[in-house]
Amino acid sequence: MLGEPQKRISEQALTVWRISALMMTVIVLLVTGGVTAAVILFDWPVFIIFAAVLVLILFAYLSIYLIPLIRWRRWRYEVREHEIELQHGVIFITRTLVPMVRVQHVDTKQGPLLRKYQLATVTVSTAATVHEIPALQIEEAEELRVYISKLARVADEDV
Amino acid sequence: MSKAARLHPISAVMTLLKLLKEFTIPFLVFVVFGDLSLPLTIIVTCLFIVFLIVFSFLSWFRFTYRLEDEEIRIQYGVIVRKKRYIPFERIQSLDFSENILHQLFGLVKISVETAGSEGTEAVLTAVTKKQAETIQEILNQRKQTGAVAEQDGQEALPAVHEEIIYKITSRELVLLASTSGGIGVVITAVIAFISQFDEWIPFEKLTEEFISFALNQIFIVSILVLIGLLLAWVVAVIGMMLKYADFTLKKTDKDLVITRGLLEKKKITIPLKRIQGIRISENILRQPFKLATVYLISAGGTEGEGTGTVVILPLIKKKRIKELLSPHLDYQFIENFTPAPKRSLKRYMFRGLVIVLPILLVPVFFFKFWGLLGFLTLPMFIYWFYLKYKDAGWSIDEDQLSLRFRGLTKHTIFMQRKNIQSLRSRTTYFQKRKDLSSIMAFVKSGIGLDGGTVTDLERKDVEAVYQWFSRS
Repeated sequence: MLGEPQKRISEQALTVWRISALMMTVIVLLVTGGVTAAVILFDWPVFIIFAAVLVLILFAYLSIYLIPLIRWRRWRYEVREHEIELQHGVIFITRTLVPMVRVQHVDTKQGPLLRKYQLATVTVSTAATVHEIPALQIEEAEELRVYISKLARVADEDV
Repeated sequence: MSKAARLHPISAVMTLLKLLKEFTIPFLVFVVFGDLSLPLTIIVTCLFIVFLIVFSFLSWFRFTYRLEDEEIRIQYGVIVRKKRYIPFERIQSLDFSENILHQLFGLVKISVETAGSEGTEAVLTAVTKKQAETIQEILNQRKQTGAVAEQDGQEALPAVHEEIIYKITSRELVLLASTSGGIGVVITAVIAFISQFDEWIPFEKLTEEFISFALNQIFIVSILVLIGLLLAWVVAVIGMMLKYADFTLKKTDKDLVITRGLLEKKKITIPLKRIQGIRISENILRQPFKLATVYLISAGGTEGEGTGTVVILPLIKKKRIKELLSPHLDYQFIENFTPAPKRSLKRYMFRGLVIVLPILLVPVFFFKFWGLLGFLTLPMFIYWFYLKYKDAGWSIDEDQLSLRFRGLTKHTIFMQRKNIQSLRSRTTYFQKRKDLSSIMAFVKSGIGLDGGTVTDLERKDVEAVYQWFSRS
């Protein structure tokens, strides 16, 4: 059995994911409200309201509580001298190996939500694929970017 | 060598044709919806054509190229003047192609391919064959010796060693064209033709006369449609034959060179060191004849193809691949793959049936009993899922990873460790329970990626591949 990568992403990722899930839930809530209004106005069968509410509750539970939790628990990464290893996924547990020699550039990026919580996402690009480590503490992300680009330079080879 | 040269004037005509092709429809839309009076329309049309002619002429006139000691310099642009310098050392290859106009005037179009991620760096639309040869020679010379060769003056070039690996026979060409995707059109046509009758026969309330009339009409229409589709197929076949006529694969010192085509001649050069992998595809129609298509995955873009995956053997007996290619390419054309374990067969069946069964149930819902006929296709699907299971496999031979898998077409892909951009293992909860896992590997192909995914392998096998790729 392979040991999984050691480092976790910031615990605040949970908060960020939950806030954006909350926004989505508000939209679903509005739709549910609309459906309820339609049922009352047009005299549709009442069970539609129950179904809509059930969907709302299920959506809220999954997207706000369960999925972020599993997602955060699963997210691991490790940057070694010769490679980067990532593990993530809620249903599909994916583990990725990116050799340092294949890394072409590293970026950090921030959306408004991430900025509010002092987080950043690190993006590692090879000639063909792009990999993301979401929601790291901003200092950590910067450090990682510098570190990876230094290692990638050392390991330079022809494509 | 620092005299600026223009392209052959015919390139102005080519630009004009291209512009006409692009702008005719927008122009027509403009005229139709603009609701102009007739004289005005004529004036506008004339102005439009004159403008295009002037523009094409100017773009030819303004386009100059010259070969300097270390680079090609191109100047172009009608309104905004642009300069582009391409150092020789960055040029990976020159690709040549000729359409009918080119062939009439003994010209050739050159696409300059560089190592940049953009693919084609510059295009010389029309130069004489002699000039093209000179450019190729100068490039070879500069690349080999750098600027040093300049001092020795005109030194004779060592003859480029060339070896023909494969040349298509006319029998293969016919087989290739007729078993390509075009056949799908015919199959659809036949199905559409037959289904016409199914739909019309149960009508009972109509008078007999009307039925015979309607049937006749439908019959005529169906025949016409069938003929139309057959024609489309014939056109597709002829198109394929023209595209792959004279297909030749050659090897020079550092490159693989492909030439093909009758009306539009193409010459594609793939530097050996840009090769990222090899893909063998067995189309379901060709597989019974043990025929396959071999692709080369190259990091350079090939002009007009979008990806770097290029056909090197369009149609070949599977057992000949090894004998033809292994002397020239540093890959092991292995046949022994570690298959997926028996217990994953169930998962392959399940994953397929979950999609197919609901689709088969739809006609039952609409047509009741007769809808059940759809289930006659079920054995075919089950056989397909079985094939998918049977064809899944992997192998590691020193520094080479080989993956085999099937969508509708069976693919075998050979990749070297140094060319794999990233490797992934993927496990779902259900796979984990059965100790199974999937593996994916990606290589660079042109500006995009290519690669393979093999589902439901033994978990410890996937871990072995993962470990093999890991550098720690």
